[in-house]
Amino acid sequence: MTVAVMKTKAEQSFAEGFSEVQEKLPGSTAVRAIREEAAQRFAELGLPHRRIEEWKYTDLRNQVKDALPPRSGEKVAMTIADVIVALGPLAHVDAHRVVFVNGSHRPELSSPGGLAGVNIQSLASALETAEGGNAAIAGIASQHSDAVMALNTAYMSDGAVVQVEAGAALDKPLMLVHIRAGKAPCFAAVRNVIEVGAKASARIVEAFVSLPGAAGDGQINTVTQVNVGEEAVVTHVKVAADAGEGVTHLSNWMSRIAKSAEYRGFQLTQGVNLARNQIRIDFDGEDAKLDLSGVFLGRGSDHIDTTLVVDHAVPSCESRELFKGVLDGNARGIFQGKIIVQQAAQKTDGKQMSQALLLSENAEFDSKPELEIFADDVVCGHGATCAELDKDLMFYCQSRGIPAEIAKVLLIESFIGEAVDQIDDEAIGEAVMAFARGWLS
Amino acid sequence: MLEIKNLHVKIAEEDKPILKGIDLVVPKGEVHAIMGPNGSGKSTLAYVLAGRDDYEVTDGDILWNGESILEMAPDERAASGVFLAFQYPMEIPGVAGLTFLRTAANAVRRKRGKEELTTPEFMKLVKQKAGELNIDVDMLKRPVNVGFSGGEKKRSEILQMALLEPTLCVLDETDSGLDIDALKVVSDGVNALRSPERAMVVITHYQRLLNHIVPDKVHVLAHGRIQRSGGKELALELEKSGYAEFGEKAA
Ligand SMILES: Nc1ncnc2c1ncn2[C@@H]1O[C@H](COP(=O)(O)OP(=O)(O)OP(=O)(O)O)[C@@H](O)[C@H]1O
Ligand SMILES: [Mg+2]
Repeated sequence: MTVAVMKTKAEQSFAEGFSEVQEKLPGSTAVRAIREEAAQRFAELGLPHRRIEEWKYTDLRNQVKDALPPRSGEKVAMTIADVIVALGPLAHVDAHRVVFVNGSHRPELSSPGGLAGVNIQSLASALETAEGGNAAIAGIASQHSDAVMALNTAYMSDGAVVQVEAGAALDKPLMLVHIRAGKAPCFAAVRNVIEVGAKASARIVEAFVSLPGAAGDGQINTVTQVNVGEEAVVTHVKVAADAGEGVTHLSNWMSRIAKSAEYRGFQLTQGVNLARNQIRIDFDGEDAKLDLSGVFLGRGSDHIDTTLVVDHAVPSCESRELFKGVLDGNARGIFQGKIIVQQAAQKTDGKQMSQALLLSENAEFDSKPELEIFADDVVCGHGATCAELDKDLMFYCQSRGIPAEIAKVLLIESFIGEAVDQIDDEAIGEAVMAFARGWLS
Repeated sequence: MLEIKNLHVKIAEEDKPILKGIDLVVPKGEVHAIMGPNGSGKSTLAYVLAGRDDYEVTDGDILWNGESILEMAPDERAASGVFLAFQYPMEIPGVAGLTFLRTAANAVRRKRGKEELTTPEFMKLVKQKAGELNIDVDMLKRPVNVGFSGGEKKRSEILQMALLEPTLCVLDETDSGLDIDALKVVSDGVNALRSPERAMVVITHYQRLLNHIVPDKVHVLAHGRIQRSGGKELALELEKSGYAEFGEKAA
């Protein structure tokens, strides 16, 4: 006997919504079939809830009250000046921009021309071809698909398909800009697929921002798949810095690192009411390096969850994770970090650290580090700390004439600075810090 | 003028009294030394002057230029001229020394109704003051006091003092940890700040410092009270006899 679980309002709307928009979504017949399958899968799984181990701190079934409608077909009038306003501090980074608004590519708002060494296509057009559709859907993303990913596969409306040629060294960062705009609250599912060829080097920024005046509510479901080729060096930064009151940001990074490659990832999350940042890293070749860091800032009822899995399947790789959160009001931060070291992965060197600064009595931080080690010759460690602002340091600053509010910002900046410093691009690092500073004041 | 009247202090979260009725007057233009055995309450007095809230004033008052400062926050006290050079200067990881100094200098200037320093003005000033104290400006690009040696930390305190231009300087064992040359450099730095407008309280264990910074008065603090006051020769006497005579009767 099977017991039918009651569908929540949101689950029903997502399921019913799909049949309404399915015709308008881009893709070849094959892609359509995959979408339908994914929608079916989502309908079966429902939204993840706390009885699923990985979701025990973030109960989407409970926390996502309703599904907002996708509006990728409707065009919000915008100018490049608006893009600059929406980007805030990131507008100062000299980058090649590819702009999306509410989940649709907007070539007229993007940087003209191309970027030497890179082939960029919109996901919507790639999905129309057999080859492009395959690249977007058949990659690692399909191997670790959960309900949130299935929802993305069903609904994804656009994104960027990026191919960095082998040996190319990009002279500018590539910025994939996803803007939430317009008075009508909406749901946007986007997917970026990034291939970096052997020995290439690239800096890629994903920005999830909103235009002033945008609806207070919004839902983003984003998947980014990165393949870092042999000996390639990739810096990958995601900035989710919204200004709405009720924004849900569900993200998935799926990155695969080939032999002797270096992958540096960073995520900033702020101004988002409910965030789940999932990161899955697979080491695919020896001597590769991973440096993953992030900053999350929450206040009010914000709930920000970072859940990552680093899978060392091959020997002699190094992984570092450093995540820092600042939580005020009733905000809740979650960090779940699992490092898997498979039997073959001898000489693995893995270290993980998560730290939270609690600015109020009601703020909460839950940290769940996990090491699953099956090899014997490895160096692995993890740690987590949770603290309040250091009273003694506050006094030291104040005794030098620095008012308490400024001292507080100074100390918080120094706390998160350690993570932001992991970004090896000065302009991007400065922009990230400027976002955080904006949030603090 | 600094006037400390019948000051009683305990640790905020405990009932343990530390200062049990301090009376002390330091007129502008004078330097007063405070000596006394370990644990007698010297640093406590210094912290209370600067406004640290781990301590609670249970009786008495502190007047600076005729006004009570007890209700003032530490940064307000700093703006009104109070500066404490810490016995154990703190490290602030992640905050560059120059950023810290500039934030502090400008915060104080704003409160005193002065123009903020521009970056070039500030850099010029820092270079000059750091040079006088034998501090390498490159060190100030590092986080505040992080990785500094004991002596470097003490010099960095005096640099902060020189930049903030206080009128009440409280130096808590600034001499401990300094080598002979550094002691001279720091003393010169302190002496350069001596002026008819400034009052200074110098806490020390060693008479040696007082050869460099010659005090107008020396006070012995033991068991939470000023037990004796005298001229600079009192320091020499203590050097010989120690604090034995303040042992029993005081408590
Ligand atoms: N925050 C605190 N919590 C508990 N006890 C304290 C605290 N601060 C000071 N004390 C106690 O108060 C007494 C006076 O300490 P204080 O640091 O003022 O002494 P001191 O005269 O500066 O000593 P030293 O010469 O060793 O620097 C000591 O017994 C010390 O242990
Ligand atoms: Mg002391």
